[in-house]
Amino acid sequence: MKKAANRKRPAVNKVYYIYVGILAVLFFIFHTIPFLKGVFYSFTDWRGYGDWNFVGLRNYLHMFVDADTGNAYIFTFKFAVITTILVNVVSLVLACALNAKIKFKNTIKAFYFLPYMLGSLIVGFIFNYIFANLVPELGKALGIKALSVNILGTNNAMWGIIAVSLWIGCAFNTLIYIAGLQSIDTDVYEAANLDGATGFKRFSKITFPLLAPSFTINMVLSAKGYLMVYDQIMAMTDGGPGTATTSIAVLIYKKGFGGGQFAYQSANAVVLFIVVVLISVFQLRILEKREEKLG
Amino acid sequence: MKQGVAKVKERYNWPVTILLIIGIVLIILLPLYMALMIAIKDPSDMNNVLALPRKLRLQNFVDAWVMTDFPRKFFNTAFITVINLFFTLITNSFAAYAITRNRKKSKFFSIMYYYFISAMFIPFQVIMLPLVVQANAFHLDNIYGITFLYVIFGLPMNTFLYTGAIKAVPEALDEAAMIDGANPIQIFSRVIFPVLKPTTATVAILSFMWTWNDFSMPLVLLSDESQQTLQLAQYVFKSQFSVDYNLAFASYLLVLAPVLIVYIFCQKWIMNGVVAGAVK
Amino acid sequence: MNKKVISTLVIGTLIAGTLAGCGGSSDAGSSAKSSSGKTELELFSTKPENKDTIQKLVDKYNESHDDVTVKVTAPPDAGTVLKTRMAKNDMPDIVAMGGDNNYTEVEGAGMLLDLGDQDYIKDVQEAYIDMIYDVNKDKEETIYGVPFATNASGVIYNTEKFEELGLEVPKTWDEFIDTLQKIQDAGEQPLLMTYKDAWTANAPWNSIAADLAPESFADDRKAGKTTFVGTHEEITEKYLTLLDYAQDDFMGLSYDDGNKKFANGDAVMIINGNWAISQYRNANPDVKINMFAFPSSNDESQNKVTSGVDVLLGVSKSSSNVDAAKDFVSFMMEKENVQTYIDEQFSFSALKGVEQSDEAVSGVQEDISNGKVANFEDHYYPSGFNMSVLLTELSLNRANGMDDKENIEQFLKQCDEKYDVANVD
Repeated sequence: MKKAANRKRPAVNKVYYIYVGILAVLFFIFHTIPFLKGVFYSFTDWRGYGDWNFVGLRNYLHMFVDADTGNAYIFTFKFAVITTILVNVVSLVLACALNAKIKFKNTIKAFYFLPYMLGSLIVGFIFNYIFANLVPELGKALGIKALSVNILGTNNAMWGIIAVSLWIGCAFNTLIYIAGLQSIDTDVYEAANLDGATGFKRFSKITFPLLAPSFTINMVLSAKGYLMVYDQIMAMTDGGPGTATTSIAVLIYKKGFGGGQFAYQSANAVVLFIVVVLISVFQLRILEKREEKLG
Repeated sequence: MKQGVAKVKERYNWPVTILLIIGIVLIILLPLYMALMIAIKDPSDMNNVLALPRKLRLQNFVDAWVMTDFPRKFFNTAFITVINLFFTLITNSFAAYAITRNRKKSKFFSIMYYYFISAMFIPFQVIMLPLVVQANAFHLDNIYGITFLYVIFGLPMNTFLYTGAIKAVPEALDEAAMIDGANPIQIFSRVIFPVLKPTTATVAILSFMWTWNDFSMPLVLLSDESQQTLQLAQYVFKSQFSVDYNLAFASYLLVLAPVLIVYIFCQKWIMNGVVAGAVK
Repeated sequence: MNKKVISTLVIGTLIAGTLAGCGGSSDAGSSAKSSSGKTELELFSTKPENKDTIQKLVDKYNESHDDVTVKVTAPPDAGTVLKTRMAKNDMPDIVAMGGDNNYTEVEGAGMLLDLGDQDYIKDVQEAYIDMIYDVNKDKEETIYGVPFATNASGVIYNTEKFEELGLEVPKTWDEFIDTLQKIQDAGEQPLLMTYKDAWTANAPWNSIAADLAPESFADDRKAGKTTFVGTHEEITEKYLTLLDYAQDDFMGLSYDDGNKKFANGDAVMIINGNWAISQYRNANPDVKINMFAFPSSNDESQNKVTSGVDVLLGVSKSSSNVDAAKDFVSFMMEKENVQTYIDEQFSFSALKGVEQSDEAVSGVQEDISNGKVANFEDHYYPSGFNMSVLLTELSLNRANGMDDKENIEQFLKQCDEKYDVANVD
């Protein structure tokens, strides 16, 4: 649209080059070099210190036969998909509710944003207590067998972690949806009303499509965050029981540092990085296309 | 949205309001209420954790305060958080501006954009060990160094957040300022940065929360005990707290307190900031 | 003016880095001579629970030495932190750590000094010196770590409940099961398991396997001459049998909560080690407990106390003042100081003639003094082989109602597979 203007404009001011250049160099030194070192070591048998040898692709090939890694990927995908969907559904519902004509709107909103401010380590500790003590009591009182033991010690431990992730994560997503809802012109609704669209129909046909940008941000950030899930798990189950809640990031940390598999877990990390990038790019492509179509 | 103070009361959607309030009480406040009750009780008073204490016991807070060396840890954490916040806001915003505005004009900035954005997807665990070596070589394994690293490491996320907002600012604004003879930094600081306030609020909150709550970087970089942060201290004392939940929860609340206070005072600003800043 | 603004921005970015550079010099190098000419030594301790006692001994040392100051570092996740310190060539001068595979890594990387020529070595019990050899890389017979304190793991029981129910300390597996059954029949909880914290799942395994696994299993397995399948069936069966007597929520109870419950009399027995005693006493100062060797076998002579090196002391090769560091270790090994340590930590001494007299461990003291001990089985597994994960999986399957035979078969197969994966050097 501004091709013509572009051509006339003088070249880019060199201040920009210098400034971004300096930051890029600093970023390169302290972030990229460590990352490249990690990539480099993924082709070796380095243990984190001492001597090492090149082993070629051995670490990468080993991933395909290592059941631990496979299980961690399955768990992580399951967790990320379920949590991303639940967080977004709950947030969307909450956002619509908070955007309705309610009393004490600002106070209510402030309360719903509160969990976001608290930090997952301590929230994890608090919920650990709830799952170990309060929930089983409730379960026993109600006679629900599945709830009468600590859920974090069963096959359902993943749901405990999902619950806490929802508790922490919905706040931010909700706010973004609210922002999206508020940016929708009220004229659109009036027009819709004239057309007789109300309730769910109005939501699915008009509101939701117009929320596309918010939806994109939320989906990409949630998926990325949950694919790299780490804090909540370390604070709550340490990857257990067995390996039931061992995510890839947890596996990388535990085995890479505690288990003397630094090089192998570096390879694992490189693969995780590629997977997350691919998924995010894929999401962006699809979602942006959708935005364009609608926009 | 306009609040509609003048509007008639019946227009309020009471069912939704009530449902939301029930949600607050049961989902948001109950866990925190429980934490508070445990923190002000005596260990012998734990039969019903949700009941009010038979006798108020504030000694837990005193003990936790002394045990974790709270004032010092608080100062360390506050130092890292505040200094990082300041430098992040002034440096990262301009970087994002420089990159976004010039992406179409120069390949360099386009590459930079993808360079930073893709770094967002690198799990911290990958760079952890090499980073320790690198940070040590530059003597960055202390609170000053970690603050500096936070500023640098914030670039990907903040570039991502600012990009949308900067795109939405008409370039005509820049051009007008340029014709008036302003240089890039003046254009940015006087014309663009003020318009970006909402996004700046978002970035500020995210940076604040990140540095205040992070414990991975402090764990591996701050070996000196006198430099430890509050979150790290909770981790350190986990084993000592183990038998005494009352002490542990008192300590947790001490860590949450500063955040809650900041939140209560800046709540309106934070909410509006995030709402306005999140979507361009 | 133009430039001024630019430089402000650029300097803004750099300033934190510059500050960092200045700050770094003050604490860089763990054993630098400080300005007063004093030698500073860093003692790195991997056990958060003994921090206060170690600090007490260090204070005593510092008071009596004008030229040397020892500083204690006891970070959380000490294994990780120590590894990062090794990676950046910043080894602490002295390490105090367990005689486990963490030690093997440090020792195997050639970080530690041979302390075999020190005077106190002749007073150290041979059984524990042998354990150090066993965990050295390639079983080298060199003392890179001096055994300082030792531990004991077995069955801890509530003596009052035992009296109440008229029970005697079981000496054999059959007697043990009989005892468990009696307790259950009396309507009490026989055993408390705290498998929410996976490492506690190792406690029964370490004792049963140490007693019942073939003599040379550790070496043969490493060499690939034997497998878990075919040697560990009985051990696994016995391990699962115990779960019949555990509380319903054995997968969901954490170590801390379990200790509290046990201290308050919620169960008659718990399988763990002396390190848990201070927690029981904290939770209930009046609790009366004692300990007995886990009776894995019906042959009494096989039922040894599981005991390993809880804390060993090592000196870094790269220490700037090796003599001072060695002197500190000698100080720690003085009988009086070892006594202080074991009294406060309810642990045992590796030194001959220094004995633990607390009644809570009196049931195993004799065996320990006589050397009727066996090391923790998992000290012999490679460091990437995480037995506790496999054991919690085994237990979880049991809780989910999986058939025992299938469960055991699958578990042992997994053990072998995972062992082979971890057994690459």
